[in-house]
Amino acid sequence: MVCVGVKIIEERIVEAYVGEYASGKSENAVNRALELVRSGRQVNLVDLDLVEPFYTLRPIKQELTNMGLKVIAWETGETMGLGEAGSIIKPEMRWALQRPGDVILDIGYGVEGAKTLNLVEGAAQNPDLKVFAVVNVYRPMTSTINEIISYVSELGLVHGLINNSHLGDETQIKDIEEGARIVTEAAKELRLPVVATAVDIKLKKEFSTGHDCMGNPVRFLTRFMQNTFW
Amino acid sequence: MTEKPIQGERKMFLTGNEVVAWAALAAKVDIMYGYPITPQNEIMHYWTRMAPKYGKKFLQTEDELSAGFTTIGGVLAGKKAFTATAGPGNTLMQEPISMAEMMRIPTVVVIQQRGGPSTATVIYSQQEVTMTTYGGNGEGFRVVYSTATHQELFDYTIKAFNTAWKYRFPTFVLGDGYQAKMRESLHIYDPEEKGIKLVEPTPTLSRPGQIGVNREPNHIRNTYNTEEELYQIVMGYAKEYAEISPEIIEFQEQDVDDAEIVIVSHGVVSRAALAATQELRKAGYKVGYFRPITLRPFPTERMRAVAANTKKLLVVESALGQLNKLVLNEIYGLTTPIETLLKPGVGVTSEEIVTRIKSLL
Repeated sequence: MVCVGVKIIEERIVEAYVGEYASGKSENAVNRALELVRSGRQVNLVDLDLVEPFYTLRPIKQELTNMGLKVIAWETGETMGLGEAGSIIKPEMRWALQRPGDVILDIGYGVEGAKTLNLVEGAAQNPDLKVFAVVNVYRPMTSTINEIISYVSELGLVHGLINNSHLGDETQIKDIEEGARIVTEAAKELRLPVVATAVDIKLKKEFSTGHDCMGNPVRFLTRFMQNTFW
Repeated sequence: MTEKPIQGERKMFLTGNEVVAWAALAAKVDIMYGYPITPQNEIMHYWTRMAPKYGKKFLQTEDELSAGFTTIGGVLAGKKAFTATAGPGNTLMQEPISMAEMMRIPTVVVIQQRGGPSTATVIYSQQEVTMTTYGGNGEGFRVVYSTATHQELFDYTIKAFNTAWKYRFPTFVLGDGYQAKMRESLHIYDPEEKGIKLVEPTPTLSRPGQIGVNREPNHIRNTYNTEEELYQIVMGYAKEYAEISPEIIEFQEQDVDDAEIVIVSHGVVSRAALAATQELRKAGYKVGYFRPITLRPFPTERMRAVAANTKKLLVVESALGQLNKLVLNEIYGLTTPIETLLKPGVGVTSEEIVTRIKSLL
């Protein structure tokens, strides 16, 4: 804690969401950022998908901005060409950690994508930075304990796992619980905490204790990414 | 001994591109050849990530021409081989696939359609229908399965290899960028455990034995000396293609019997068409749904019967009339009017279809 006059400035929250392609990184990052906004904090959400920089947060940028987030993402009019024609980091992204307020980094594209973090100025030295790997056990490369362990080991710096196991609209409680068991077991082997189990807000009633069957805290997700391309 | 890629049946949450890679593994494919292009890239990405684990191979070529010809090479050597592409890549692919058509080489190509003409968008369209069904300098002797769901992408990718190897006509699985990137749950399975017999690949060249001693030469050609010689070959293929077509043709329909208007669509758009049909039926509108699954060979007989039995057709597609052209050709002679909802390179929602139908009835 740092005291400035009589105003107390809390430590800021800096979190990066990494993980396998289509594991739910963006959905978790967006929801986490909004949760912080709702608690009265100033929050920057940074879209660091440099492989497909025009498709991730761009379609919902305005909606998120209206909800009080500072969204740092490319806009179509600012650029020319397609993701596959080359990727550029936006200067605001490179310097994102210098911004006032919390910073949530949505880092696209699996293991290669996780290296994008190296492009963010000051990331390696930032004492607040927490990197969370988002895992859905119904995704092909992270289905079993062993697969998760080897996958997360490839990601580099990781401080915790998020169990985001689901089957889209067909998700049942037992699917989430099965995911919680596998992810918790993998986390134990990796000596990492399970930061949360992410659950669609539609299933809120079923998780009224705020914890999953393994005792991990539950974070409820409102789905925004359905309104994006991918 | 490498482990089996899929044991039993599993419910998974996948993108369409991943589904294709898993289906190819399930179909016991030996090798993929490919050149990157969005939106099919992850087929290659996932194949290359999984290939070493299951003793499979991959070759990245310098372009799609080469990807198509190396796929042919793999097949000639007796390997189950495939490639995947999109848009301008599909354009280049027509040259090798024309050769496969002529030489009766069972190649499998997965297309994830993107916007056109040319580079256009990397995202989505249904603008590769004409090219995939009748592209190249030939007569369209190929099989084209147009999928709508991830389950179908899995099922028909497996089926495509069987169709190709059984009938020896090049076979396409026609998806699109939405299907490629969309996430959806599906059941993946080992086809053999389900009683689906996988056709065994056999080499076309370098077969065992000695020519003239214990086997005949196997002279496959794409070059002929005279017009008459070519004519005979092409007409022979046409006859054979017509004969096998009833075995290959597939379509899906709902509520067509008493329909005053039938929505005709294919691929991912048919999901919106089906939802619109169900919604309109609930509201009391006499609407039907017809969807060719095979665009080549086209379900002509059924399409004509459906068209003859209704007052109007509404053709809906994410192209400026490519499916419509096929339909028009197949129902020639009938007087059923055709209305269209054509959105080249753009998705179609069930709401748009509902609104259009209401304006037509």
